[in-house]
Formats: sequence, C-alpha cells, structure tokens
Amino acid sequence: MKTLHVAADLLREATARKWFLGLGVAITALLLGLVGGLRLDVVDGALAATRLFGSVLQASVRPADVALRPVFIAASYLISYGGMAFGLLACSDFAPALLSPGRIEHLLSLPVRRWELLGGTFLGVLTLGLIGSLYGAGGLLVILGAKTGVWNWHPLLAAVLAVVGFGTVYSGMLLSAVLVRSAAVSAACGALLLFAGTLAGYRTAILASMREGPGRWAFAAWSGLMPSLSTLADAAANLAAARPVGVGQLGGVLAGCGLFSAAALALAVWHFEGKDF
Amino acid sequence: MSLALEASGLHKRYRRWFFGGAAQNALCGVDLAIPRGTAFGLIGPNGAGKTTFIKCLLGIAWPDLGTVQLLGGSPQDPAVRARVGYLPERLHLPAAWKPLAFLGAVARLKGLDARPAELRALLQRVGLDEGSERRIGGFSKGMRQRLGLAAALIGSPELLVLDEPTDGVDPLGRVEVRRLLEAELERGATLFVNSHLLSEIERLCVRIGILSQGRLVREGPLEELCRAEASWEVRFAPGMPEAPLLAAGFRHAAEGAFLIDAKDAADLNAALERARLAGALLVDLRRASRDLEQVLTETLRNSA
Repeated sequence: MKTLHVAADLLREATARKWFLGLGVAITALLLGLVGGLRLDVVDGALAATRLFGSVLQASVRPADVALRPVFIAASYLISYGGMAFGLLACSDFAPALLSPGRIEHLLSLPVRRWELLGGTFLGVLTLGLIGSLYGAGGLLVILGAKTGVWNWHPLLAAVLAVVGFGTVYSGMLLSAVLVRSAAVSAACGALLLFAGTLAGYRTAILASMREGPGRWAFAAWSGLMPSLSTLADAAANLAAARPVGVGQLGGVLAGCGLFSAAALALAVWHFEGKDF
Repeated sequence: MSLALEASGLHKRYRRWFFGGAAQNALCGVDLAIPRGTAFGLIGPNGAGKTTFIKCLLGIAWPDLGTVQLLGGSPQDPAVRARVGYLPERLHLPAAWKPLAFLGAVARLKGLDARPAELRALLQRVGLDEGSERRIGGFSKGMRQRLGLAAALIGSPELLVLDEPTDGVDPLGRVEVRRLLEAELERGATLFVNSHLLSEIERLCVRIGILSQGRLVREGPLEELCRAEASWEVRFAPGMPEAPLLAAGFRHAAEGAFLIDAKDAADLNAALERARLAGALLVDLRRASRDLEQVLTETLRNSA
C-alpha cells in the first residue's frame, strides 16, 4: 500500500514540475505539427495506394491497411525507441531526487520500508512512462486515422511493449542511482542499456559475422545478459502492422526483460537496505 | 521508569572506499537512556557525531556495534517509526509543491487520513497559515523550517527528534517554536533536540548530553550540570565596603553579589566568618551556577 503512495507522490511531483509539463506540451506540439505538416493521402476503396510527402510508397495498388503497413511500422519504431529515449531523459532525475540529502533521511524516518520507497519509485516512473507513451501513441494514431480513414489501434500495443522495454532500462537506472546518486550517471546508464539492449536483439546476426576468439566469446557472454530491446521493438512493429508474431519468441523476450528488471531491482534493494544516509 | 529511547554501546565508523582515505570514528560507544516525557538536549561541537547519533537512533544509518530501543521497540519497525516525528537538519522539500500537498503526502506515508482541515490547523499552529497557498520553492529558510516542524508534528508523535529546529527562524519565531514544543511536552511527548543554540536548549530542556569526538562525555539534569560544585554566590546587606570582603577571599559577581570558592562546608563557614568579623551582614547564600556555554567549554576542555 505504501508503495502505491510513494508512486502517487512521484506522479504528483511530476505534474507539479514545470519542465515535465513542458515535455508534455512538446509531445502535443509534435502531434499538432504532424496534423498540419503530414501530407499522407490514401485513395479510398477496396484497393488503395499510399503517397507520403508526394511519393508513392510502393508502386503496386493494395488494400488500404496493407498499404499503410510501412507507416504503422515506422510509427511503432518511433514509439518504441523514441519513447524509451524520451523516458530515460525525462525520468533520470526522480531516483537521485528521492535520495537527495535531507529528503531521504526524512522519508526513512517515516513508517515506510526501504524496499517500498524503491518499489514505489519504479512503479511511479513506469506509470508515468505508460501515460506518456499512450498519450503520444494515441495522438499519433488519431492523426493517422483522421488523415487516412484507416483506424488501426495495434500501435497502442507497441506503446505498451515500449513501456516494458523502458521499465527494463529504468530498473538499471534505478540501480545506478542507488549506487551513485547522480541524474547524469543514471541517464548515461539508461542510454548504455538502451544501446546494449538494441545490440543484444541482433546478437545472432552479429555473432555470425564475428571470428572465433575471446572477443566473440566476451560479446556472446555479455549480450546474453542484456535484455533484447530491439527484438521487443521488432515484435511491436510486427504487431502494429498486423503481421504474425511468434508467441514463444515474444514470451521469451518479455521473460528476459522481466528477469533483467527483477535482478536489477533486487540488487538495488539489497544495496539500499544496507546503505547509510 | 518507562524509557522513550535507549542506546547502548553505539559504535559507528565511516569507511572511505576510494582514494585510500582514513576511516573516521563517528560514535565510540555511546550509552544513553531518556525517560518518557523528558526534554533532552544534545549539544557538542561540529563533527562531534550528533547527527550520526540521531541517524542511528532512527534507523537511517546502521550502527557497527550496539543496540537502540525506541519507544520499547526497534527503530527498524515501521509501527515504532509511526510514533516518532523527525525534523532533519537540512530538510529537502519539494519546491513545486504547496505545503498542504506536502503535509498530506507525509500523513499518508504515516498511514493517517490527510484531512485538509487538520493539516491547515497544523500549518496555523506553526505560524504558516498565510503561506499555505504558496509554492514551497518560494519559502524563506525559516518558513521551510516551520513546515518541517509541522511535518514532524503530524499524528501527535510520542517522540519528537529535532535536529536544529530553530535554524533560520527569526527571534520571535523561536519563541513561538519554543511555546509549541512546550505544549508538546505538556501533552506528554518526549523531546530530543540537537541544537547549537545553547540558550534555546537551556530554556527548553531539563536533561543535557554533551557529545565530543563520538563520546557522550557528560549527561544529566541541566540544573546539576550547571551547578558549580565549589563556588557560592553571596549577598551582603548594603553599605558594606568592598575592600575587607575582597581581602577575605570574596570576588565580584553580577549585580552586587560576591563569589567565594569553598571545597566544603567548613571552608564556606570560615569564609563567611571572616566577612562577618569585617562587619558584613549575610542576606543571601546560594550555589553559584554557570550557563550552558561555560559548562560546554569546560567539559570539552576537560575531555580533550
């Protein structure tokens, strides 16, 4: 219960921060810019073709939803990677602020367990990420729907998967913040994890192109520990384009992300429990 | 007697993991027991270990050795901490929030209903009713301190631990804070105050502890600590010339009184006899007392 209170307080703090509201305004401005600037025409009918900024995307005439697949795939990748990058920049300050001198002492003197403080922070940031990504993705889909007449809500699933990916990245950021109380270090750790997670998704292809040796062995070991964020983004894109997704593969990637998050959070809690302030 | 706080054999050593710096002993076996309903003041120079001691009491820092009992339980137990109010030395407040929102958040984390009317009454009690609609970021240091005090008072705690409660508060504000804390004492709360303002401690607390280099070098009732064992304050009837008294070993004190050092009753009576033979008439005799500043200076000099 206290975890929920901590999470709710984090959301309250976010809404009270001017720069955070500014980021919300920025998303809205971006969406409004798309409303005015995006030239996307779909010829209505049983069969259709798509013209994006005056150029026909593919020459052949196909059903409208098929013709729009590249647009939805692009939107899905934008939501996945853009959302994660946006989230790690916007949320890098929360855990270091929680642990700031004068605040953490006060919080620890209250009847809240240490793990509840970290759990609440993680939950609050995840909720914030979900609200932001659903707002951005929802807005984008409304614009695409209004402009093309094709209403495809699948990219919202991409937003949810992007939040799973962001949660994985944020668990590492939280761990780094507990170890070193710095927003810059936390953001850098998040960026590194995002990069590593992207590489890990293409692990098999990269390993196939590497020669046998310690370098290959080190990459295999290291990338095996990283969450496959790019696989998650690929799966989200496939879902958005209504293309088949291997349930087993997606389940495996989600389990891997869950395992990585749980391990990072467990380490963070273990260190936080024994830490002096 | 029921104890509000009991620490025994508290040791705390801060290690430096990087750059090979020497470890620092913050607490070296501190024993302290404070009965419920007492106003206790902890004083000492900077770096004596006062804040570390408070952090160990509240479970914010982990002692290397020793035990702490808070209101009969462990400070790690949330149910025990729910009965404690704490004002840290440098309370960090969310700048974008308004005071009521902050107090509401603290109340919820304490497991209490955050009723706006009660929180407003609390703000009024600490003299912040006019600032209740302003953002905390625009508060002065004194206003922040008052808000921190209001947060500590939420839920009428049985033990109040206040680290420099009047830091940054103006003189009139200090009087208000003192009255408020006196009201808390009357309610039955125990007060643990750490402050560099010795006059505030002297006015509020009945027991004093002096911490120096991580050791509790003196502890006891304020009256006892301030009493000068071998010195007496004497007043004679007006009109007596000073020279014979000074010759008899008396020396000037404040407001026409004299001081005489006497190690026992016989010594004292011999000195008084000398004054009487010189024609002086005794009208008042009491043990001389020192202020807390003198006690602290003397104790620190002796402990060094």
